Amino acid sequence: MSTPFRPGRLALATMGCIALTVAIGQAVSSETALSILTQAAIFALFATGVGVLLKQNGMVSFGHAAFFGLSAYCAAICLQETQWPAELVILVSLAATTIFAFLLALVIVRVPGIAFAMLTLAFGQLFYQLALKSRSLTGGADGISVAWPDTLFGIPTSTLLDNGIIFTISGVLLVLTLALLVCLHHSRFGQTTEAIRDNPERATFIGIRPTLPRALVFTLSAAITATAGILAAFNSGFISPDSLHWSISGTVLMMVVVGGYWNVTGPALGAAIYIVAKDLIGDLSTHWLSLFGVLLIVIVVFTDNGLSGALRTLAARARPTSAPRHP
Amino acid sequence: MLAINIINGLVYGALLAIVASGLALIYGLRRVVNFAHGSLYMLGAYIGYTVAIHAGFWAALLVAPLAMFLIGVLLDRYGLRLLRDYDPLSVILVTFGLLLIVEDLVQTLWGKGNLSLSEPGLLSHSLDVAGMTLPAYRIAVVAVGILVAIGLTFWLQKTRMGLFVRASSTDPATTAMQGVDTDRLGAFVVGLGTALAGFAGIVTAPFLSLSPTMGSNVLIDSFMVVVIGGLGSLSGAFLAALVLGQVQMLGATYLPEISASIPFILMIAILIWRPAGIAGNRT
Repeated sequence: MSTPFRPGRLALATMGCIALTVAIGQAVSSETALSILTQAAIFALFATGVGVLLKQNGMVSFGHAAFFGLSAYCAAICLQETQWPAELVILVSLAATTIFAFLLALVIVRVPGIAFAMLTLAFGQLFYQLALKSRSLTGGADGISVAWPDTLFGIPTSTLLDNGIIFTISGVLLVLTLALLVCLHHSRFGQTTEAIRDNPERATFIGIRPTLPRALVFTLSAAITATAGILAAFNSGFISPDSLHWSISGTVLMMVVVGGYWNVTGPALGAAIYIVAKDLIGDLSTHWLSLFGVLLIVIVVFTDNGLSGALRTLAARARPTSAPRHP
Repeated sequence: MLAINIINGLVYGALLAIVASGLALIYGLRRVVNFAHGSLYMLGAYIGYTVAIHAGFWAALLVAPLAMFLIGVLLDRYGLRLLRDYDPLSVILVTFGLLLIVEDLVQTLWGKGNLSLSEPGLLSHSLDVAGMTLPAYRIAVVAVGILVAIGLTFWLQKTRMGLFVRASSTDPATTAMQGVDTDRLGAFVVGLGTALAGFAGIVTAPFLSLSPTMGSNVLIDSFMVVVIGGLGSLSGAFLAALVLGQVQMLGATYLPEISASIPFILMIAILIWRPAGIAGNRT
């Protein structure tokens, strides 16, 4: 069962994690290491978005790359076509993606099970095709550069783009999102969505209408992913249709399951492991895709809840039990 | 011009029908959305390519499906059968892992570049049909697609084994109680589905070049066919393949800007309207 909610502990842990993130951003001097850590933090945020949909709604999305790319494209196009300040563009991109996700969710969360996964796959690929074909707006397969101005929120962009700073920004955003999700998990809304997830019929009997809570979780999940998309567009200054392809959604789903989505931090763990391991193994062997395939199968088959679940079980075993239970 | 496009649509529809019928069979019996199906199609094409180089196209046409049948039986025996009690997401992800492994295997064994196979001599000429010049090979592909559709329908509707497959698709537990060996049946059906993927792969090889990305494209198209037709329904899949083939080919010529989006819009509309697909009655 879930542990009782201790707000003080959460606040302490959050501050500790933020301090750790800032310290890592300052202490690590290798540019390569920092850029990989930034990549890991961005994908951890992406995976956290996909994970919350699975955890709270029990829904599998094969199309979240669409939200990742949509916010980035939105920012790129606004910066190119309008004279709006970049701060406004960021807000507009996030808001537009979130509102779009909400409207979409109202329709698609009614569709059950595998059909929902197929539906998200279709929507994701639809956006991939649109980005690929609307050459005048998106630059087609070549993608477009995201032209950030010289200063952002009063700070020179070059300072923000320093590897240590961008990692710190991404990391802090990730920690805050995770803290928010822990609160959500313990809130009334979190309990409601879990009731719907476990048994929509019974939830309806006790007076809960399932569509709106489900749609809100979907919207939250898309908003988190869209934030990751903006960060990625800021970090690389570039967006192409490749970021919207369903294989990206599939890969992120793989990170989510490897990390274990029943823990709030599981998906982020999975993403960090994937990105770091891909870099480490990628140097040694060209077969890292197979290795991840094998790892994925082993984890799905042999663990209840990915690596974070396995870690938790190990920790529970290592701890001396105060009161041995007898049946 | 229009007639040629329609025929090209028929060719693509026939291919999709062969691939997607395998996917539908596996879904029908094992309730598994097989993400590795596209990569198995690719593996069949590459195995066929190697056999064709050494022993000719006709040998490849026989060996590739047989090899894939064997792989399918193993996949069921040591994979899907053991995963029966897992939730659908876990099984989907296992097939996704398999996809990664097969793609890496193909890239390792055959390289990343494009490979091409020439048509068999018997079918390399052109035919004059009603004033049009058509490559004989493409006509043969359409004929093969029709034969597969008829053959599978006959097998499912008229034979004893087909009856067992239909029964087991509806209710595996009761079917097993009636004395049907559902494990062997499952292995055969997954083998057959995989063999169909491999067969489509070798049939495609002479007119679409082989590349490590060929599986991904076909996977999404055959998902669309299976979803539009109704998950697990063969007749629905054949109909959807026919429609999708036309939409792809006619769209590419007359509406190039949005042609690739039309199938997705169609799929979305149908899933929202009837989540179980046109011919589906299961939820």
